[in-house]
Amino acid sequence: MKPLVLYQLASLVLLGAGLAGLVKRRTLVGMLIAVELMLNGAGLSIVAATQLTGADAALGQLATLLVMGLAAAEATVTLAAIVVVFRRFGSTRTDALTTLREQP
Amino acid sequence: METPAILAFGFYFLVIVVGCFMAVGCASLVRALVGLVATLLGVAGMYLLLNAPFMAFMQILIYIGAICVLIFFALMLARADADGDEADPAPAARTFKGVLAAMLPGALLAPILLLHPTASHLLPPDVPLADLGRRLMEDYVLPFELISVVLLISMAGAVLLVWERRDK
Repeated sequence: MKPLVLYQLASLVLLGAGLAGLVKRRTLVGMLIAVELMLNGAGLSIVAATQLTGADAALGQLATLLVMGLAAAEATVTLAAIVVVFRRFGSTRTDALTTLREQP
Repeated sequence: METPAILAFGFYFLVIVVGCFMAVGCASLVRALVGLVATLLGVAGMYLLLNAPFMAFMQILIYIGAICVLIFFALMLARADADGDEADPAPAARTFKGVLAAMLPGALLAPILLLHPTASHLLPPDVPLADLGRRLMEDYVLPFELISVVLLISMAGAVLLVWERRDK
């Protein structure tokens, strides 16, 4: 099996695990962890695709650096949003985040 | 690939898979975070195998050093212990949907990957760090500056969101 395929399969595992976690988790923090898994899979896929083919290797590394920076920004804003949600609803469970429906 | 490389790849792959299962499956969110850290370390190892040591260290520095610590702070708001928010077992339908969500991209993309593999080099090229820095300052200076603006705005936005007025 070609090396690139192996790395792409590893990033596919990360993508699948992230999607499964996003659906299965019931707290915002759990979902944030799942999103980080998916972003990491994207970064691994970009670096593998540019390091192992004739593509511009430096460009791939810089692109992944960009993904990491965006992930850091996303985690910061999500943390602030979780704090706001916790103050307002008293919980970070996703099923608590309703205002129109009567609280179960 | 050489045999040591295959062994190292297998080890890192195992770390990633176990970490993924912990991050998605554990009832305690602290254990899920430990699983995430294990996964990130496995990916950093794969970066080393890909001859991209700078990316490996950035992965450890940014993801494990910054993002995981941030998530840990967010964790203090959730009831993260083993009988906390995630403790009661998820309804079977929800678990089924989760497995389906994991299988869907696998079923779509894995056959394409396996049936039409892209021609790939055996040895990744060396990318000198100076080259990366020069590209960042010359060719890609606009994305480099934009990402700093994005980070600044997200930091300011986070402070603004959690700001509590005194006079309220």
